[in-house]
Amino acid sequence: MADPTTYTASSPLKGVQVEALVVMKITKHSSQTFPTIATGALVGMDVNGILEVTNCFPFPTVDVPSQDGHQDTSNLAAAAPRAKANVAYQAEMIKHMRDVNVDANNVGWYMSTNMGNFVNLNTIENQFFYQRDINERTVALVYDVNRSSQGSLSLHAFRLSPQFMSSYRENKFTTESLQKSGLRYQDILVELPLTIHNSHLLTSLLHQLPTPPPSEELKFPADLADLKSDRLTKQPPFDPNYDALDLSIDPFLEKTCDLLLESIEAHHTELNNHQYYQRSLGREQAKITAWQQKRKAENAARVAAKQTPLPEDEWQRLFKLPTEPSRLESLLNSRQVEQYARQVDGFTPAVSGKMFAVKSNLLPGEGA
Amino acid sequence: MDDKDSFLHLARPLGPAQVGAQPVTAPLSVTIQPQAIFSILDHSLRRNPDQDRVIGTLLGTRSEDGTEVEIRNCYAVPHTETAEQVEVDMEFQKTMLSLHLRANPREVLVGWYATSAELNTFSALIQNFYGQQGDGTWPHPAVHLTVSTEPGREIEARTYISAPIGVTAERADESCLFIPVPYEIKYGEADKSGLELIAAAKDSEDRSVGVMGDVESLERAIEQVLEMLARVSNYVNEVIDEEASPSNALGQFLMNALSLAPKVDPADIERDFNNHIQDVLVVSYLANTIRTQIDLSNRLATAALTLGPESTGGATGGEGGQKDRQDRRGDRNKGRQQQNRSAES
Repeated sequence: MADPTTYTASSPLKGVQVEALVVMKITKHSSQTFPTIATGALVGMDVNGILEVTNCFPFPTVDVPSQDGHQDTSNLAAAAPRAKANVAYQAEMIKHMRDVNVDANNVGWYMSTNMGNFVNLNTIENQFFYQRDINERTVALVYDVNRSSQGSLSLHAFRLSPQFMSSYRENKFTTESLQKSGLRYQDILVELPLTIHNSHLLTSLLHQLPTPPPSEELKFPADLADLKSDRLTKQPPFDPNYDALDLSIDPFLEKTCDLLLESIEAHHTELNNHQYYQRSLGREQAKITAWQQKRKAENAARVAAKQTPLPEDEWQRLFKLPTEPSRLESLLNSRQVEQYARQVDGFTPAVSGKMFAVKSNLLPGEGA
Repeated sequence: MDDKDSFLHLARPLGPAQVGAQPVTAPLSVTIQPQAIFSILDHSLRRNPDQDRVIGTLLGTRSEDGTEVEIRNCYAVPHTETAEQVEVDMEFQKTMLSLHLRANPREVLVGWYATSAELNTFSALIQNFYGQQGDGTWPHPAVHLTVSTEPGREIEARTYISAPIGVTAERADESCLFIPVPYEIKYGEADKSGLELIAAAKDSEDRSVGVMGDVESLERAIEQVLEMLARVSNYVNEVIDEEASPSNALGQFLMNALSLAPKVDPADIERDFNNHIQDVLVVSYLANTIRTQIDLSNRLATAALTLGPESTGGATGGEGGQKDRQDRRGDRNKGRQQQNRSAES
C-alpha cells in the first residue's frame, strides 16, 4: 500500500462514476433490509483518477433473533464489511465475477443509512479497514433510504482524509496530538463528486420506459376509460420525479430534532468524560505535588541529619496519571451534527418554496 | 414494453404429470424488477467478443402456489456454445447460487436468461437443466427470460416456461416446448428516485449525470408541471374559441381532476401555513446554531493549550483554564438542549 500522504499528492481520486446497475442494486438491497443497515462490496476500476464502480454485491447478514434487541443486530450489520467471514465471501465472489468478465477489483463498499445518520465509529472503521488493508483507492458509497424516498436520490461517496488515516492508524486522539496534526472534524471525511453513468444498451431501454408526455399532436381518446388505460397516462415518467412535489414536512423535522438531540446528548457525555478526566488529573497532580513537597522536606531533614537523601523522582512509580479519553467520538459527533445541519439546509429552501406555492394556490390573490 | 405482438395466455397443466407429482400449471404472471434487466444488459456488454449470447441464472421469489414469479436478481454464468455442443459451467452455477443465497436468503432459483431472442436446441437443453429435479426449480417450471440486445434495435424481453415434449425418451432431454407467459416490469417506490436520476442521463451525449440536490429536482418537476398546465389551459382556451375540436372524455377527466381541489377556510390555511413555516425555520435555525456551537466547542478544546508559553509550561494552569471553559460550555449546551426540547414540543 502506498503511503497516503505521498499518494494523494501524486494522483488523488478526482471523482466517482457509478453505473446505473449499481445504483439499482444498492437501492434494492437497502430498501429490502430497511431499517437495518445494508452493506455490500463495490467492484470496478480506477481510470485516470476517476473511480468507476461497475458492479456490486451485498454482504450476507447474520440473522440474529430479534429478541437480542435492535441495537445488536444493527451493530452486527454495520460491522459486516470488516467481518472475517465477509472478507472471505468477498474474495470468493470477486473470483467468480472475474470469470464472467466483470471488473474484478474491489473499489470499496456501500452502506445504507437513515436521515444521514452514518457518521459513527463503525463507518470510520470500515472505511479505514478498506483504505488500509485492501486498497488505498477505495470509497464508501452512502445511500440514504429515507431521504431518497422523499424525492431526489441521496447517494454520496466518501473517503477518509489522509490526515485522519495517519491519526487513526496511531489511534492518537488526545488534545495534544490534535493540535499538532491540526485535524478538524471537517477533515475526517472527504466527499467525492459522484456521477451516474448508463451503458448504451441501458439508454436504449430507458427510451422504451415511461417518458415525459410527447409534444406532437395526439388523437383524442374515445371515452374516460380509454384515457385512463392509455399507456402514456398509466405510469408517470421517471424524470422528472413528481415525488419531489410531495409536501411532507413534519416527519422530517421530527426525525431531525430527534437526531440532533441525540447528538447533543452524545456531545454532552463526551464533555462529561473530559471533565472527569480533568478533575482526576488535577487531583493526581495535587497529590504528586504534595508528595514531592513532603519528600523535599524529608530530604532536607535527612541532609541535616547527615543521611543520604531519598530519590525525588519516585513519584513516577507511585502515582499514575489518568489517560486522556480519546477525542475521536466527539470529533465524529461534530461531523455528524454538521451533516444534519447541511441536510436541514438542503431541506429548508425546497420545502418553504413548496409551502408558498401551496398557500398561494389555495388563497389566490393574497400571495401575489 | 412492446405491443407488437400479443399472446393468449392459457393456464393449463403442463404435459404428462410425473408419477406422484401434482400437475403444475403455468406461472400466470412474471414480474421483473428493473435491476435484473439492468444486470442482464450489463452482462451482455461484457460478453466475450466471439459469443453471440450469454446466459445467467435468475433469482427471485415465487408465490406459494407458483403462479406468480418475481424476478429480483440475477447473475451471469459462463458458458461456451459451438455448432455442435453447449457447455455450461455447472460448478460455477452451484457455488454462485450458494453465495447469492447467503446474502439473500429469501430468494430462490426461478430460472435463467439469455441475451438473444432466439430459441434453439441448446435453449431446450439448458431449460431442462434449470428445470430438473434436485438442483433445478422442479416441481415448478423454470422461467426462461430472453432479452434481445442487438444494437440499434428495441430491447425486447420475452418470458417462457416449458413443457416436456419428446419423440423418444432419449431425445426428451434436449427438447421442450417453450410457452410464452406474460410479464411486467415493475419498480418499487424505493427505486423511483434512483430511476429518476438514471433516466435523467438518457438524453445526454456522454450518458452520465451528476447527483442532483433537492432544490434542483424540485425545480425540474415544477417546470414540467407548469408546462403541462400551460398545455392543458391552451387546449381549453382553443376549445372555447372553437379553434380545436372538443373531446368529451378530456372534459370529463378535467372536471374530475378539478373537483379534487379541497375547500378550506382561508384562516385555516393561514394558520397551518404559519405553523409549518415556523417549524421549518426554527429547526433550520437550531440545527445551524448547534453546528456553530459544536464547532466552537471543538476549537476551544484544542485551542486551550496554545494560549501561550505559560500554559504549555505549567500543565496544571493550562488544564485548569481548559476545564473552566469546558464547564461553561457544558452549561451552554444544557441551555441549548432545553431550548431545543421546547421548540420541538
